[in-house]
Amino acid sequence: MSDETDSLSRGIDKQYLASPIKNPVDKYQLIPEFLKVRGLVKQHLDSFNYFVKTEINKIVRANNEIRSTRDPSIYLRYRDVRIGEPSMIYDGVTEKLSPQKCRLSSLTYAAPIYVTVDYTSTMRGKKQESTEKDVVIGRMPIMLRSCSCVLYGKDEEQLAKLGECPLDPGGYFVVNGTEKAMGMESDQEVVQMLGRDPRFSALLLPSIEECANLKVYTQHQALEFLESDKMLNVFSYFSGPVEKGARALSILRDILLANVPVHQHNFRKKCIYVAVMMRRMMEAILNKDTMDDKDYVGNKRLELSGQILSLLFEDLFKTMNAESKREFDASPSARYILYCIKKYNRITSELGRTLSTGNWDVKRFGMHKKGVTDVVARLSYIGTLGNMTKIKPQFEKSRKVSGPRALQPSQFGMLCPCDTPEGEACGLVKNLALMTHVTTDEDERPIISLCYYLGVEDLELLSAEELHVPSSYLIVLNGLMLGKHKSLQRFANAMRKLRRAGKIGEFVSIFVNKKQRCVYIASDGGRVCRPLVIADKGVSRIKELHMKELRDGVCDFNSFLKDGLIEYLDVNEENSLIALYEKEATPETTHIEIEPFTILGVCASLIPYPHHNQSPRNTYQCAMGSGQNATVAVMSYSGYDIEDAIVMNKSSLDRGFGRCIVMKKYTAICQKYDSCTSDRIIKPQRQGYEADRMQILDDDEIAAPGEIIRRHDIYINKESPIVTRWIPGTSPTVLPDTAYKPSRQTYQGTEGELAVVDRVALHSDENNNLSIKFMIRDTRRPEIGDKFSSRHGQKGVCGTIVQ
Amino acid sequence: MGRASDSDSDNMDSGESITKVSVWDLPDVPQGKLLSHLELKRTRVFCASLAPTNTENVNYSGAYASMGVDNSVRFEQFRNNFKVEIMRLEEDELEFDMIGIDPSLANAFRRILIAELPTMAIEKVLIANNTSIIQDEVLAHRLGLIPIKVDPRLFEYMSENDVPNEKNTIVFKLHARCKKGSERLRVLSNELKWLPNGSELILATESPASHSSTKPKTYTSFSSSQDTLPEFSNNPIAPKDADIIIAKLGPGQEIELEAHAVKGIGKTHAKWSPVATAWYRMLPEVVLLRDIEDDEAETLAKKCPVKVFDIEDIGKGKKRATVARPRACTLCRECIREEGWDKNVAVRRVNDHFIFTIESTGALPPEVLFTEAVKILEEKCERVITELS
Amino acid sequence: MEHGSFEDQSKATFSLTDEDHTLANALRFSLNQDPRVTFCGYSIPHPSDARVNIRVQTTGDPAREVLNDSCQDLMLICENVRDTFNKATSKFKTEKGLSSMDIKN
Repeated sequence: MSDETDSLSRGIDKQYLASPIKNPVDKYQLIPEFLKVRGLVKQHLDSFNYFVKTEINKIVRANNEIRSTRDPSIYLRYRDVRIGEPSMIYDGVTEKLSPQKCRLSSLTYAAPIYVTVDYTSTMRGKKQESTEKDVVIGRMPIMLRSCSCVLYGKDEEQLAKLGECPLDPGGYFVVNGTEKAMGMESDQEVVQMLGRDPRFSALLLPSIEECANLKVYTQHQALEFLESDKMLNVFSYFSGPVEKGARALSILRDILLANVPVHQHNFRKKCIYVAVMMRRMMEAILNKDTMDDKDYVGNKRLELSGQILSLLFEDLFKTMNAESKREFDASPSARYILYCIKKYNRITSELGRTLSTGNWDVKRFGMHKKGVTDVVARLSYIGTLGNMTKIKPQFEKSRKVSGPRALQPSQFGMLCPCDTPEGEACGLVKNLALMTHVTTDEDERPIISLCYYLGVEDLELLSAEELHVPSSYLIVLNGLMLGKHKSLQRFANAMRKLRRAGKIGEFVSIFVNKKQRCVYIASDGGRVCRPLVIADKGVSRIKELHMKELRDGVCDFNSFLKDGLIEYLDVNEENSLIALYEKEATPETTHIEIEPFTILGVCASLIPYPHHNQSPRNTYQCAMGSGQNATVAVMSYSGYDIEDAIVMNKSSLDRGFGRCIVMKKYTAICQKYDSCTSDRIIKPQRQGYEADRMQILDDDEIAAPGEIIRRHDIYINKESPIVTRWIPGTSPTVLPDTAYKPSRQTYQGTEGELAVVDRVALHSDENNNLSIKFMIRDTRRPEIGDKFSSRHGQKGVCGTIVQ
Repeated sequence: MGRASDSDSDNMDSGESITKVSVWDLPDVPQGKLLSHLELKRTRVFCASLAPTNTENVNYSGAYASMGVDNSVRFEQFRNNFKVEIMRLEEDELEFDMIGIDPSLANAFRRILIAELPTMAIEKVLIANNTSIIQDEVLAHRLGLIPIKVDPRLFEYMSENDVPNEKNTIVFKLHARCKKGSERLRVLSNELKWLPNGSELILATESPASHSSTKPKTYTSFSSSQDTLPEFSNNPIAPKDADIIIAKLGPGQEIELEAHAVKGIGKTHAKWSPVATAWYRMLPEVVLLRDIEDDEAETLAKKCPVKVFDIEDIGKGKKRATVARPRACTLCRECIREEGWDKNVAVRRVNDHFIFTIESTGALPPEVLFTEAVKILEEKCERVITELS
Repeated sequence: MEHGSFEDQSKATFSLTDEDHTLANALRFSLNQDPRVTFCGYSIPHPSDARVNIRVQTTGDPAREVLNDSCQDLMLICENVRDTFNKATSKFKTEKGLSSMDIKN
């Protein structure tokens, strides 16, 4: 210990504070701290925030100019895109939105997308550049609690004012009044297929022979061959001046291995890449062990709402620009184009449609996905949270393969081993573990320059022979070969040190693959990673004094990260040596788990003593969102407890055990018709044969909150005009009573149920019709046939209620 | 016993000669009395280390007829043996020992206490206004569970077609409001105010202006005020406990309601149960089968979590374990868990000795509840007798 | 409520409505104490029905009479229990100096 720290910790048992934590319970405090900082749906929020803050800018910047083909001096250019506050325009007036208001009035919780547009305007025959600020190009549905949401950073009281539950995690959208959550999609991509041997030449021989047979010897001949009809007829839509070999070249440049950039027709990098890939392929042919495992979690990427939305937005934005350009070519007036853009509403409608139907289409790539959104399950709080951490596979569920369904060892700590549905989606639908983080894209450029600074030799400078020298290692960043480095461990350690010091992003992974003689650096989005305690020679960096600071509230989880006590590891880097407990650490240990139970997901971590259960019981329990807790005594009651049926005690039910309230929504719309007429609500009859059915109606002709509603009761006394079509020549007049027919709505609940009108909400819908919503509440007490369960997947129906 | 000694001498006389003697005539078989192990079996439940054994009762009068023992209980015999010892009597709680009675009767009393003794409880709630967050049904349910301190014997049951009147209904009023800008308000059970003249709410079917001279009809039809009754004149009816939270009101919220309490029994709904619980347990009996001394005594005393055993000095520096507080025994069997200890200690329960506890909710004192329960069993018998004849 | 035969009145099943274990078990005990009873037992055919069946078989006397006597016995026992209990409570109260408290019964 240095003198500095000595003087700081005067009066405290220094030895105790500096000693590593023996007891694993001590570190437990980190988990609530972690959840306080991150919450359970942070992955969705991060992803959406990244899209709103960064990605959308990139998209607009990449497609920022529309120039007239006729007059190239006339153009329109986008600058500065930003998402405004959630609001809607109602009769020309901008009205701010809150999520609760959207839920009640069936609106979409969306914010305008503002851009600043520079364009050439013609003033008295003179061309000059004008700027228009805050042009709305569309409205983006906003994820609740994201940085664009009105709930962002609000405290409990402010949330209550907005009608929001402080415990609600957010991370979903409100589209046409319904809550829609986007799932996570697991994307399979094997990024790494990179390797050599004299045996390879034998494998390459047939290809070379074929080339010789086709009389392809030079590069030019090769390109011509590629362009010949039998090879290229698919890509015939390329237009423009045709130069021999240019089309093939452009395909090779832009489409083949698009991730490898080509600068000024320098194909060298691409060549090396192809070569390395071919090597790896041949190696795989010769030796099956070198094949990459496609079920390995490290080879998978998760697609979150931000990415899904950004792809969709990019497509829509490009389509809008393409359409604008067509208009532009017809009439070269930038002002008119601006007008077209303002009027364009496909971005708004398509974004809304995708979220509400879950059908995601990107036409340009012919990509189509179904079920990207789900209605948020609100049966229980835990169920809602569990729903938000669900991961769905991209491919068909019907595949009868066991590989992807099996529990992968690489899932440890990242994906919950228990939480998966039974039946057809078993093992394919997964759930995130408690501490899993899903990364977002990170800028590669600083990492690249850092790598070269740390002594990576650029591929451009190396000869082909040097590429496979056994004494040097290939450095690969996000599937892109940067170059070679002589000293593997020194490089990796230096990179890690920089990461721990916060010089590069905390989620950048540095993975050394000794077998392939590669160092893989990953900074791309969609990787799963989790925090672990760093250990030096098997000694945990977290000491008792750190935990004390945490308990005292001096520091939080993030300061642990900043201080380099904890770091995030992704699946690949997880191949370091991780000890479960301090006491099990050896000098080789590099990391120590924070808490063993964090391998479980939200639902599974609520099971008491899950390690004492038979494994499928935990899986069954995860499928059930639990409610009220109860203390029980177990007894048999032959005949009424067969097949897991349970016997309940009547007195407990009398005293309120298991009571629940079911809410149901009924809507009535006062429709406006073409004939300038509309539905009308009329005063209830207080006398006569129907008075009985109308007794819950208030004097305002609508059922009053607090009234007990029975079957066949009328909750709105509405009348519709008999003629709703507009007859030419008639003028809108007040219709006589005879021109109306009753179209009242009656309650169709079950007999004997005590239902009460809980709330009545009036608002106007998107067509400006008056819409009345009734929340009808029904209090139920447990009865025979109701399902109950313990917290261990032991469910059963109530067989009898005993006095 | 006389016969036994006879056969004894007979046996001695016959000497070596082979004469057939019935097993019942053997000298150590007592006549007219059960063998000691059978008597033990008849009167005790054994708590063996694995499970309680001998839990069943021998009821049949002729169970031991072959031994010449009559197992029937004559009333005289019952009267002489039956004892009641009060252990504790408080305002709401009573603990007493009932000795010399069959479990079937003890259980009948317990069941009646819980399910068949009437009390008054709120059954109907007329909500005039409720702007609190607590739903009407939930509020009504909570009100129903509030114990009311009133003797149910002064009231009648209200059957389906009865009109609520002063003989079958007690009316309470509750009006609580939390002023705007003030702190959150707790509505406690003491805000339930008794209305001795019955409901103040006018029937919905009544048109307000029709009979201005006569009193408008309300939800109850009281012919006289309840507080004119001598029982209530100086003793207004109110909830037993004044500090039960009914609801919490936020600023600007209000509850206005009328609650009607009627007579009922716990069988219909637990809110009418006059007891929080009524239970009994059999008297534990802990017997040391041999002297437990010195270190062994210490271990035994330590084994018991409820300290049933004491250690006494028997002089010469020797110590011995004694059973000091057998009533405290919870029959956890910790003392006989270890291998071989069941040879040292026997844990049993006395079959016909019940430690009966009654916790009243407050409508009636617990000792009254018990006598009422016994009366109800008598009424039941009477009903069967009338049905038989 | 009685189910039996006219020829042999010594065996019968009595079906009591609105009763349960409370009375039936106590009655069974009482019946068992009677030396004239050769067999007795009770059952609740279905927990949802408020009904209990009591079976009585005797050595010869009519089952109805035996049941009647048992009810009488049970009532006597109850009366005795009440008396003993009341004496015990008043004794306890006087000992505790609470004699002023009045017990109604």
